[in-house]
This record gives sequence, structure tokens and C-alpha cells, in this order.
Amino acid sequence: MSQHSPSSGEATPPRAPPRSLSQALLVLGKGGVGKTTIAAGLAALEAQTHGAAIFVEFGDGDAGKRALAGAGRAVRHVVIRPIDAAQRAAAPLFGSATVAKIVLGNFAIKPLLAVAPAIRELAMLEVVRQLAADNPGVRVIVDMPATGHSVAWLRVPTQGRDFLGSGPLFELCDRIRRELLSPGRASIIVVSLPERLVIEETLELCAAVARETSLAVDRIAVNRVPVALPREALTDAHALAAAGGPLAGAAAELAVVLAAREAQRGEAVAALDSLAGKEHTVWHLPLAPGDPSARDVARWLLAEGAP
Amino acid sequence: MSATDPLVIVCAGGGGVGKTTTSAALALALARAGRSTLIVTIDPARRLAGAMGVSITDEVTPVALADTGDRLSALMPDPRRSLHTFAEQLFEHEPVAKARLLANKLYIGLADAAAGIHELVAMNLVARAAERGSFDVVVIDTAPSRQAVDFVTLPGRLAALLGGRTVSWLGGLAERANGGASGGGGLVGWGAGHVESLLAKVTGPVLVRDTGDLFRDLAVVRERFVALTQHAAKLLLGPRAAYVLVTAPTAAGRDDVQFLHKRLEKLGPGARAVVMNRADTVAAPYARALRGQRAVTPALAAAMAVLDDERAVRAAAADGLSAELRARLPGVPLVRLPFIESTAPERVVASLSVELEPHLHTLLPAVASAKRP
Repeated sequence: MSQHSPSSGEATPPRAPPRSLSQALLVLGKGGVGKTTIAAGLAALEAQTHGAAIFVEFGDGDAGKRALAGAGRAVRHVVIRPIDAAQRAAAPLFGSATVAKIVLGNFAIKPLLAVAPAIRELAMLEVVRQLAADNPGVRVIVDMPATGHSVAWLRVPTQGRDFLGSGPLFELCDRIRRELLSPGRASIIVVSLPERLVIEETLELCAAVARETSLAVDRIAVNRVPVALPREALTDAHALAAAGGPLAGAAAELAVVLAAREAQRGEAVAALDSLAGKEHTVWHLPLAPGDPSARDVARWLLAEGAP
Repeated sequence: MSATDPLVIVCAGGGGVGKTTTSAALALALARAGRSTLIVTIDPARRLAGAMGVSITDEVTPVALADTGDRLSALMPDPRRSLHTFAEQLFEHEPVAKARLLANKLYIGLADAAAGIHELVAMNLVARAAERGSFDVVVIDTAPSRQAVDFVTLPGRLAALLGGRTVSWLGGLAERANGGASGGGGLVGWGAGHVESLLAKVTGPVLVRDTGDLFRDLAVVRERFVALTQHAAKLLLGPRAAYVLVTAPTAAGRDDVQFLHKRLEKLGPGARAVVMNRADTVAAPYARALRGQRAVTPALAAAMAVLDDERAVRAAAADGLSAELRARLPGVPLVRLPFIESTAPERVVASLSVELEPHLHTLLPAVASAKRP
């Protein structure tokens, strides 16, 4: 089956040229939309075109490793675990890595860290900020945690800053805000699917980003858009169903399936074009019946005009 | 363990495998089969609520769907309200401490960041619903992550935290900070006092004071916390609970199901069954009926060929994963469900519920089949 770009041949409304993307790309989306796959594809594309890219993953590193298979050595895969991040972020605050380790390993602080999410999030964002600062000119692609939490993540530095008022931790929050979570420093890419409920959540996510952070959504990647079928197929199925006879029932069922598929493509295009009108650029990526590789995704992204 | 406790089915799985729709379909099938069923989502996403026409509240709401005869209810607590609900539950009998807590800025800041708390609150609400209601089965849709099943140990971890030295030390922080002394005098070397003064330097006095206050108040309600969470822990870890792993024929689906299976073995309950979505082996009857017929136009034939290609790729991946799961998870039954080609969530739920009907005994906890064959 050919893997042509699913948006080809569709009229797109004229729009303002998209904002260019910043050094850090924060890839957001709810669980299961293929966030890691898209982030890995972006990293592979970046490595192909600019010779280097950093792919940042929070967690155990399995998902990124799988998604990056075949992406080449130019992509550096950085896995950030909460406890390491806390120590790395705390080291400059306490003046030394050893002191940070002692304080964080304290009998009272350690269990507190295990249940206090805001601190972990702050620490992980600080590591991303450090990575971007230490590698000027190299794009840092961050596979963010699933939806609800990712906006909460982006809010943490502002909340922390407002809450603390002064002190080194206050400065840390402020630095993350200024040097990572501000326009020109980071771009937000939201991954979505051509499914009604997922699109609704994507729209909510875009609104939440605009409302609750100083960033805006720069690109939307609609993943797994089914390939277009011949335009006459649906009409033919309806005609066959209407003609009666032994095949009418089967043709009616096929018509339902074909209509659902067209609706899926149509819904994605309509809902997201309403956003596109508001200066977002939408990338459409095809539905691959198997697992696409980072290189496949890079190729599709390139065809859609990314980055 | 009360004999009237409901059976519990916990659905766990990675993202994108159709876990939410599968949970809803399972609850619908159980309700149709005559069991009074409660579907609970602790997934912050609102997909299921939308699909079932239910609102997001801390209250159990009836689901109006055909053929369920009022036997289906839903509980979908709002994660943004959960810390507040939790505080209300904990401090029900401690109005003064509660007022102080609600005014604590640290507490206010935590309100929407505390992911684990939400799952705990959801479980407490389930326990309360189980005590009040007369549910035969509770189906729980967990968050789409590898850590999703860890919530069963959260009551224990938090109780340990609240009961341990941590809380009394952190609670003491407030008094010392308010009193103006920065270190714990009398402590030598790298003891608590030193850590404390370092911490105060780094975080500033406000955080130290508010953290101290927060934990002093939490210490007051420790026993209440243990009592509240005990029933939830029992429901989740007792013999009347079963864990169903939901997966799909993708590399991520495969890795996540194996990870979760190991995790469940470690936590105790193990996996009752695996449900694999998008795993249809044969072409749908309509496709078989139309194939090769002269009335089928070239456009239709081309469209059907694409659909059939996609199905064949899915089927090959599903067969591969099935073989792998049979080898790696011996003795865990595998239920394969077809791909439902539709954009309407309620339609997908309805279709899957029909597919699940023959498998209800495989998915219900083992005690259920022992009692009611």
C-alpha cells in the first residue's frame, strides 16, 4: 500500500506563515496518540537535516528506545528519571552535588519527594533547561508526559515562583520560566488523532496551554489519518445497497464502514482547520497498519513541511 | 472482608490500546447480563464520560443506555477536585485543622499537581459507593501508564509516610520556623538540624513553614486516613478483585502488557486475563460476501482491497503478539476483539460489549465463577 501524505489533494485555507520553531520542542498529547513516535520522528528529521538532535524522555527509557530504533547515532537519547533529576537540579542550589545528595537522601525528604509531584516536575524541567543551555544550536525534543499532567507541568514553575517569593528555589522556578518556558525558547507541538473525543481533548489542551502558560501551541500533528479511498466508493456502496438483491445487506454494512472512515478524515480536517485559522500549522501523518519507524515518521513530517 | 463487597475488575494497559472503551464495553456487557455494575474511571481524560453521556463528579450517576435496565452506573471523579475531596474526607471531624489546611498556600498549590492523590480519592469513593450501593461488579479504568497499577500500594505508602518520623520532623519544622530558630539545636554533624537549615536556605522560609504546618495537620488525621483507605486496599487486593490487561498489536502494546504483568505478579494479584483489541483474524462477513462479485465496481473493489490490506497487517501483528503472550504469560487467558471501524465512541462501546459477552466468566474474578457458575 502506498504511504502518500493523507492531506494531499485537499484544499487548505490561506494562512499566515507559521512561527518558526524554537530550540526546545515540547511534544504534548494524551496517552496513546503516538506522542513518542512523533517526537522520535522529529528528532530523526532534525538529525538528518542538522546533524544532531537530543531526544528527551521521562521515565524508564523503553518507549524512546523502541521509537528511535534506526534513527541513527546523530540522535542523542536522554532518559530523565525523577530521582536523578532532583539531584541534578538541586546540585547548584546546594552548592555541591554531594550536599544535594545528602539533603535529598535525608530520612524525611526522601519519602516526601516520592509523593510530592511538583518537586519532581520542577527538577525534570530544570534538567531540560540545562540540556538546552549546554547544547546551543542543538534542538531538544521533549516527549512530555500525557495530557492532563503536561499542562500542570508547565504551570509548576510559575506557581512555585509566585508561592515562594524569594530564595534559590524561587530563582530556579524563575529561570525555568525565562530560559525554557517562554516564547522563542520553547515551541509546543500537540499530537492528536482523527477521532472525535481525542480532537475535543486536543482543543481543550490548546485552550489550557494558551490560558495557563506563557506559551502557545505552535504545531498540531494529527497522527494515524487513514489513507483516502476512491471517492466513488461510498456512492457505489450506497447504490449497491439501494439496488436490493442478495448483496444489499453486505453493501450497506460496507457503506457504514466507508462513511465512518470518511467522517474520520473529515472530522480531523474540519476541527483542526478551525485551529489552523488561528495560526497553527497542522501536520497530517498517515495511518500505518504496523509500527512506523522514526525514519518513516521523519519522511512524513518532511512531506508535511516540518519542521 | 464483607460477603457483600462487589467483585472488582481493574483494567490496566498502556496508552492507545483502547482501554477506556474496553472498560466501558465490559461494564455494559455485565449490566446487560443482569449484574448491577459500576464503571469507574481514574483516567484524567474525559473520553469515557463523553461516550456514556455522564458528567464528571464525585457522585455515582446512573448511565442511561439501552438494555441495561438501570443496572449501569458510573463514577468519574474530577481530578482537579480530588485533593479537596480528600481533605474533606480526612478532616471531617477536625474543623480547626481543616480550616488551616484549606488556607495553606502549599496545599492550594498542590491541588492540581497531585496525581497519586487523585487515584487514592477515586478508590475511597469506590469504597464508599461499595458500602452504600448494592453493586455486583465494579469495573475500574486505570490511567494509561505503566505506573497505573501502583496505586494499589499508595494507601500503604502514604500511611507509612504519615506514621513515620518524617511527619513529626516536618511538622516540627513549622514550630521551629515560626519560633525563628533555623536549626535543630543539639543535633551534631549532618543531622536533621543541618539538613533543615540548608533546606530553609534553599527553599525560603515560606515553604518550610507551610510544609511544616501541612504535615502537622496531616499527623492529626493519620488514624482517620488509615481507616479511610483500608477498605479501598481490601477491595483492590482481596480475592474478589481481578486485573485485566488490555493491549493492542503494536510494539508499545506488547511491551506495556509484559511490563504490567510482571508488576502485577510483584504486587500480588497477578493478571486474570489479557484482552487484545484490533485483533480480528478473518475478514468481516460483508467483505466475504462482496468479494469477487460482479456488481462490485472498480472503486468499491479498490476500497475493499485497502481495507483488507490493513486488516491483514493487523491480523498478522495480532497473531504474532498472541503467540508471544501465550509463551510469556502461560495460563493467562487471551481474549481477542475485532477492530471496530467507527468514529462514534458509543457505537464502538456497544459493538465491543457484544464481542465481550461470551468472555465475561474469563474476565470476572475467579471467586465469581466458583459461586455463580
